[in-house]
Amino acid sequence: MLNKKMYRDIKKNLSQFITIFLMVMIGIMAYSGIEAYMNGMKKTSNKFYTENNLQDLNVMGPLTKNDLDKIKKLDYVKDAEAKLSITGLTDNDKTLLINLIESNNISKFYVVDGEKFNKDKSGVWLDEFYAKENNIKVGDTILVKYQNIELHEKVLGLINVPDHLYDVRDESELFPDRKEFGFAYLSMEEFKTMDFFYSSIMVDVDNIDKRDNVKNEIEDNIDNALAIINIEDTSSYTAYQGEIDEGKTYVGVFSGLFLFIAMLSVITTMTRVVKKQRTQIGTLKALGFSNYKILFHYIGYGFWISIIASIVGLLLGYFFIGKIFIGLEMAMFEIPNGHPVMNSSSYIVALLVILVVSLITYITGRTILRENPAETLRNKIPSIKGNVLNITKHKIFKKFKFETIWNIRDIIRNKMRTITGIAGVVGCSMLIVCALGMLDSMNFFVDLQFERIYNFDYKLNIKENISEHELNILTNEYGNYTSQTLGIEIKNEGIRESNNIFVTDASNYVRFVNKKNKFINKPKDNGIFVTYKLAKNKGYKLGDKITWHIYGDKTYYTSKIIGFNKDPQNQNVTMTKKYLESLGIKYTPDSIYTNKNLKNIKEIKNIESIQDIDALKDGMNNMLSMMKTMLILIIFVAIVLGSIIIYNLGILSYTEKQYQFSTLKVLGFKDSQIKKIFIKQNNWIAIISIIIGLPLGYYLTDWLFKTAIEEHYDFGASINTITYVIAALGTFIISYLVSKFLARKIKNIDMVTSLKGNE
Amino acid sequence: MNSFIELKNVKKTYKIGEQKFNALDGIDLSINQGEFVVILGPSGAGKSTLLNLLGGMDKVTSGSIKIGDNDIAKYGDKELTRYRANEVGFIFQFYNIMPTLTVDENVNLIKDVTNTSKNSKEVLKSVGLSRHANKFPQELSGGEQQRVSIARAIMKNPKILLCDEPTGALDSKTGVEVLKLLREQADNDTTVIIVTHNSLIADIADRVIKIKNGKVESNEIIKHPKQIDEVKW
Repeated sequence: MLNKKMYRDIKKNLSQFITIFLMVMIGIMAYSGIEAYMNGMKKTSNKFYTENNLQDLNVMGPLTKNDLDKIKKLDYVKDAEAKLSITGLTDNDKTLLINLIESNNISKFYVVDGEKFNKDKSGVWLDEFYAKENNIKVGDTILVKYQNIELHEKVLGLINVPDHLYDVRDESELFPDRKEFGFAYLSMEEFKTMDFFYSSIMVDVDNIDKRDNVKNEIEDNIDNALAIINIEDTSSYTAYQGEIDEGKTYVGVFSGLFLFIAMLSVITTMTRVVKKQRTQIGTLKALGFSNYKILFHYIGYGFWISIIASIVGLLLGYFFIGKIFIGLEMAMFEIPNGHPVMNSSSYIVALLVILVVSLITYITGRTILRENPAETLRNKIPSIKGNVLNITKHKIFKKFKFETIWNIRDIIRNKMRTITGIAGVVGCSMLIVCALGMLDSMNFFVDLQFERIYNFDYKLNIKENISEHELNILTNEYGNYTSQTLGIEIKNEGIRESNNIFVTDASNYVRFVNKKNKFINKPKDNGIFVTYKLAKNKGYKLGDKITWHIYGDKTYYTSKIIGFNKDPQNQNVTMTKKYLESLGIKYTPDSIYTNKNLKNIKEIKNIESIQDIDALKDGMNNMLSMMKTMLILIIFVAIVLGSIIIYNLGILSYTEKQYQFSTLKVLGFKDSQIKKIFIKQNNWIAIISIIIGLPLGYYLTDWLFKTAIEEHYDFGASINTITYVIAALGTFIISYLVSKFLARKIKNIDMVTSLKGNE
Repeated sequence: MNSFIELKNVKKTYKIGEQKFNALDGIDLSINQGEFVVILGPSGAGKSTLLNLLGGMDKVTSGSIKIGDNDIAKYGDKELTRYRANEVGFIFQFYNIMPTLTVDENVNLIKDVTNTSKNSKEVLKSVGLSRHANKFPQELSGGEQQRVSIARAIMKNPKILLCDEPTGALDSKTGVEVLKLLREQADNDTTVIIVTHNSLIADIADRVIKIKNGKVESNEIIKHPKQIDEVKW
């Protein structure tokens, strides 16, 4: 019978239970969805990397068959495979990264369509994404062109490869363009006519802890090895890992916050629901129901609602948030079988939520049950300690209107309700500021990079190995503003880390900014600049010296840090051409910066590619676009959750005041006067919450950017005033509309029953 | 004849802030089984406190309350719950029926607490509510709601029926019907104790106890109580 009572009680208070349901559901959905997405990302790549045997090291050459044999024989080396990667062309002059291999046991293909690699077969295994974008199918024939070799190859398979999750044409491109650039694998037999060497050797070690030993061995024994790079430092790997690292913080912060705010509100509501049943609890007790039975009955209220909401939340988290987010990622990363993976933490959180909600009903119920049944049958008037309200007797308060005093006293009497109300609204406005603020900040940093730091219209990437004379022709034509980027390895307390040096001779075409985004002069010719974030991560201080060597050259140099600069995209080292030359290193520019109008120029002799600043900007924007999509989803959830919470707290505060409002009504107050009192208090709470929420939103954004974003980015919060205005107004308007909506109920307060219920 | 209910020097003191307030100040009483007892007294005299103690809803500060051979003043929470579940039926001024359960369900609720319950159909018939069995309390008049409350109380076949102003919220005609029902219970050997302001009810009682300032002012056995229809309400 008590089950029936519970079912009908829930039905009777449907709107309150629906809000509890929604809050738990959204909280769990946000948490488990983001968690399933993150975990899915991790598991998908782990599976792909393991099953398809991603290499542990890349040894960069030119290397020989002899080098390969030597590496294979080294201690701790499980296997090694050579590869020749060259940039060629395919149909319609699109760029093709041609990989020639002899076997495929390391970084094995995942064949989406077609057949496995076979070195004796003539044909090409093609990048699945590129094939899809260009509508190429297995069995089609494509052109594979390198220098004067032109082959028409049959497509034997469409493939994904573990070290090609995220391929860009060259370092200056930020976002993969799968229509214009793809990778292809062929058997080395196909290019027999070519003068042969390996560009790299992939090494699989049998014990990852011994990887450094293997590196040292290679360095000592293989003279041709220009660089030995951990797979974790390769661009494809870091791009994917970066997504996971960013996401980790979302899991913690956004979903945690969602859940926290939702739970706060659920707890308050559940407490009220049970407290409202006070006389019924008393009656059940008088009828002889044991405390245990009554408690069990009331725990059911929270338990069943939260268990159903949790299940729905978990399902929606997986199928809605998880699938959408993974889908977005899988469009960007070429990795098979990407799917969200629910892990135990989501179930544990769901279980905890159910437990907390049940516990709250238990505690509230038990508090009521501790009293005598005789006492329980009487309605409880909120207890007030005698002197708390004395403060409102102060002279200042005499000047206030009745409604103001009434509201101040009501807030003092119901401190907990007010605090929860404020916490809920603060959370919402904070989330809105943060989500919108992240969009602002990203735009700000795109602007900082492409409008302030980059002060050119075009960047020309110079071909390798051109003569001095050819370079002079270029600089005469487009201006002598150049730079060179050198791949280096920094030795820092025994640890070796890859990085790069930006050597500038670009005058004002590439500018430098300090922490506050204000311009500073380029470094002097006696040392280096390091970026703030790099310095912070590595503990570098002004005046410190760092030791480094250029990849491919074993000479070590020591340079003094003479300043810091901020770079949104790259955490590296900067020096001038003069300083580089003072170290005895030849300056060989790889880029020219110009403001000449090159709009209609497609090709320049000795220039590999022409990049206009807008295209670079688009690249950056593209890369941020997925993050933006996620943020928009987060904003949406924040607004929905925020509205529900504000509505829910509004109902609570209305229900609690109903008795007093009916008294005021009996005393002759007009409905409009009572409405004013009610709306006024809610407005105060909204305003106080907004004042607290806005700065907290700023700090949350800043913190998120500083900790969540990939290591090589240096973003901070930079939020536009309009965002604060939108967040403040948005929160206030929702709160005001909810108050207005609830205030309509005042008209219908039945004075007799309302008062009788409290006799 | 041995008394069925016997109170000895029952005291109940409440603390309000620093002040102590004696709601009951040494009550001595005895009531026989099957008696129809009316407890009269002005507001604040201690009537409801007495009723709550008899019903095991509150605990004495000192003294003893013997029901049959047992002193319920010595009972702990669990024993009191069992006592309430099996031995007493409550009838409240404002009915206190579960608004979300139908009439039939409200009465059958008792099956969840005791094994000695009666047949709900018969009980509903006896209080004249058979045709309202499937209605919700809100659909009934005040008198009908009070009858649900009585049905629920007698459903468990209690030894004692405790009634707190059972006619207080009813018009006189409906009040008479309710009193008739209660009288019937006493005639069937259930001890019925009614707490009320209404001194007219005293005319139909077997015993009238007057309480004032937490003390028994008088305890009078009425040899020839009036029939309910004889009383002018």
